[in-house]
Amino acid sequence: MLFPVLLVTVLVLLSACAATSGPAPSQGSEVDSRVRAPAKEDSEGVQVFPLQNPAVKELLADAGSAESAGNYNQAATLLERALRIQPRDPEILQSLAEVRLQMRDYSQALNFATRSYDIGPRVGEICSRNWRTISVSREHLNDHAGSVEAEQKAKACMNTKPRSL
Amino acid sequence: MSKRRKKTAAKRKKTSKPVSRGWIGRFWRFGLLLVGVFLGLLVPWVIYLNYQVTTEFEGRKWDLPSHVFARSLDLYPGALLPVQDLEMELKASGYRSSNELSRPGQYRKSGNSVEIFRRSFKFHDGEEGPGRFRVRIAGGKVTDITDLAAGKPLDLARIDPAEIAAIYPLQKEDRTLVKLVDVPQLLVTGLQAVEDRNFKHHPGIDLRGILRAAFANLKAGRAVQGGSTLSQQLVKNYFLTHDRTIARKFNEAIMALLLELHYDKSNILEAYINEVFLGQQGAYAVHGFGQASLFYFDQPLNRLEPNQIALLIGLVKGASYYNPRRHPERATARRNQVLSAFSETGLLTAQEAKKQASLGLGITAKPRSRGTRYHAFVDLVRRQLSQIYQEQDLKTEGLRIFTTLAPSVQEKTQAAVTEGLRQLEKRGLSPTLQAAMVVADVSTGEVQALVGDKNPDRAGFNRAIHARRQIGSVIKPLVYLLALEHSNDYSLVTEIEDEPLTLRQADGSNWSPANYDEKSHGGVTLLEALTRSYNQATVRLGLNIGINNLVSRIEQLGVSAEVDAVPSVFLGAVELTPLEVTQIYQSLAAGGFSVPLRSVIAVQTAEGNELARYPLRMVPQPRREAIGVLNYALTQVVEQGTAKALPGLLGRTESIAGKTGTTNDRRDSWFVGYTRNRVAVTWVGEDDNSPARVTGSNAAMQLWAGLFRQLPFEPVDLRMPDGAYWRWVDSKSNLLTGKTCEGAVQIPFVEGSAPSRSTACYSAQEKDEESFWKKLFGKKKQ
Repeated sequence: MLFPVLLVTVLVLLSACAATSGPAPSQGSEVDSRVRAPAKEDSEGVQVFPLQNPAVKELLADAGSAESAGNYNQAATLLERALRIQPRDPEILQSLAEVRLQMRDYSQALNFATRSYDIGPRVGEICSRNWRTISVSREHLNDHAGSVEAEQKAKACMNTKPRSL
Repeated sequence: MSKRRKKTAAKRKKTSKPVSRGWIGRFWRFGLLLVGVFLGLLVPWVIYLNYQVTTEFEGRKWDLPSHVFARSLDLYPGALLPVQDLEMELKASGYRSSNELSRPGQYRKSGNSVEIFRRSFKFHDGEEGPGRFRVRIAGGKVTDITDLAAGKPLDLARIDPAEIAAIYPLQKEDRTLVKLVDVPQLLVTGLQAVEDRNFKHHPGIDLRGILRAAFANLKAGRAVQGGSTLSQQLVKNYFLTHDRTIARKFNEAIMALLLELHYDKSNILEAYINEVFLGQQGAYAVHGFGQASLFYFDQPLNRLEPNQIALLIGLVKGASYYNPRRHPERATARRNQVLSAFSETGLLTAQEAKKQASLGLGITAKPRSRGTRYHAFVDLVRRQLSQIYQEQDLKTEGLRIFTTLAPSVQEKTQAAVTEGLRQLEKRGLSPTLQAAMVVADVSTGEVQALVGDKNPDRAGFNRAIHARRQIGSVIKPLVYLLALEHSNDYSLVTEIEDEPLTLRQADGSNWSPANYDEKSHGGVTLLEALTRSYNQATVRLGLNIGINNLVSRIEQLGVSAEVDAVPSVFLGAVELTPLEVTQIYQSLAAGGFSVPLRSVIAVQTAEGNELARYPLRMVPQPRREAIGVLNYALTQVVEQGTAKALPGLLGRTESIAGKTGTTNDRRDSWFVGYTRNRVAVTWVGEDDNSPARVTGSNAAMQLWAGLFRQLPFEPVDLRMPDGAYWRWVDSKSNLLTGKTCEGAVQIPFVEGSAPSRSTACYSAQEKDEESFWKKLFGKKKQ
């Protein structure tokens, strides 16, 4: 009751589902090749996603189109509007991180992805996108060790059971 | 010309009749003298008039005020929005209740369903056309939205924002300048149809118009028409005098001609529309249609209906004689005259004119109090913008400023402050107490409401932004945060000493902090010491943490304040403004993601082109696991500590995090509280910093509760970030225990800080308690 309702579904990933789980990719960007595609590939078998408000879905889709068209400012504006509706939605925060990555604003990309991870499911595709974004950002920020570590964490997102503490 | 002819004629006469040198000659000489004097005076006089009229015109022509908009309200299924809040928002945006729902800007409420005719608007992220939709609300939540034209459900719709201020240099004159392009076409053409049909063609004065008026007046036997052109009327308004002398008429005519010589028609018309006298509010004259529209209808000019435009045009003839508030019959008759002029000239069809004439005047009962709404918030907007824009630009460039203000939250905050202080006075506290309040969105740092005075309509000292006051115990959570970051040494169940202590200060004097209840409590846990706000325990803990660490942590949380590194800092001997305190607590409430508080999200030019955007930016704090644990501790302040009266005041039991603050001699009362999505800070005290008999819970918390009683909210999220987790602990011994053991309570720990010893009841299987599901959902509330 205290927590955002998450629908946790373990399923064999259907390609149709995958297509709706993030903004439409724009061709040939680092975000696609190094964040979205591998995260999608990794997450076969495990999927965790929040129940999304239709208004948020609509805004995410619009933001995805804006991003594909290279209109990153508009994409960010739409995502921020979505965030006002669901302030603690890991998907929105991760999408913001990816838009920042497209804009080469690596420190903000890193921060948004971190926040998304903190309040997100910490497993599955979103988690993998979180850490891959962090990894790419760190690399650009010359934190190579951190980048490698984040890459490892991305892989750990696919454990269906969290690491023991 | 004619004068020169006379002169030569005179000469001719002189030569032809040389004999008559007597009185005729003297007459002509005298005449010449007169003409000379006249010309000698006229030329400088015209130059003088020219100077006057151009100065006046230039001085006012260019400035366009910046328009400040509130945030636009998003409507979507699931939105927490009671019907009365929606109505409050609609009213703030200038929407009017109507049974017809025939025009944009109207809404119709029936029970829990509200139909809205949304206006078209250029939002900061794009333009949206007009549209009609129905919003249904149940249990304080929007259940569905239907597009009435298409008959289809909508996932998302938004309302055009309230305009909360116009930043204008001559604010004291109560003018809301409008640009000609923004003026409704009907007003532009209608004004000419009624006041000056030949406006486009005459040179400033209209001889035909004068003749026509004279003829009409003669026929009627009284003055029914005026012959003044709009240019003449404009001049008359510039130098408003009431004497109806020939000399004044003459001056007016000259100046009107001069105006037309210098400026084109559209400039003159724009100036006229912004200048003409249309009413009186107390000592303030209402000039211009923009201001009159607000004064009579509480609507911006571009949102008026034809009958309202007709009324305003009718008022040009005599704003006090036709005053619609005082003489509604006269005003209605005059309006209908104007409407028939509209239909005569083809501006409205006869049918439409008739329909409009059948409507009521639609004026508000009394004018809104003059000037800007929400002064305190607009101050904050100016402050944010002043980092980029010159004050002069704000006043003259006609910028469109999109802000984060939530009108319904602002209204409720103002009411909570005013009403809260009234209650405190009833309970015997000083009537001169002042207060400030800031409300912000936790995740986006957007300031939703800000109050800087107990009288929110008063523009003046803004305590929310400028009052630096000691923050008292409101600082303590930071001391405990630093302790929790030292996870090898401290957890919430670590015991510390709440015993008297004496410290030698820099000036050689001794300082012996006492507790609020003037007792010492011996060994207490960090959790107890924080929730009960024990001073002695906190200072002891602080000394172990180090003053400099605390000072730099405050900076790290986004506030750069000058802090003396003395031990009393641990008890809040730091002066901060309510806004700065909000910034610190935003970081905590957002689980350690600091977002600089924002009041402006975008600025556009007058034409709607983007000038600046202020996107969301966040800075993660180090050791967020400690912040997660601290958040839990602050919910315990409300559950069992100094703020435990809060749930009763609210009539709600959801988890809220909070901290009270009281300063020496009860000078300042603070309360900081946050729910999942909102953080709000309240300060109460005397302006002169005299003892006010206030405590955090007897004053500021009361105001805070007054606000949150009226706001929908969700409980604080207590899921721990990576690096912190929940454990069952025995409430007496503070040892690890099993969930089902007696006295077991759940407490979060930073990794590695949980008690290493356990109770006998603690069974091996409990070790698996931190299951997958647990990890996902965190602590379940009992």
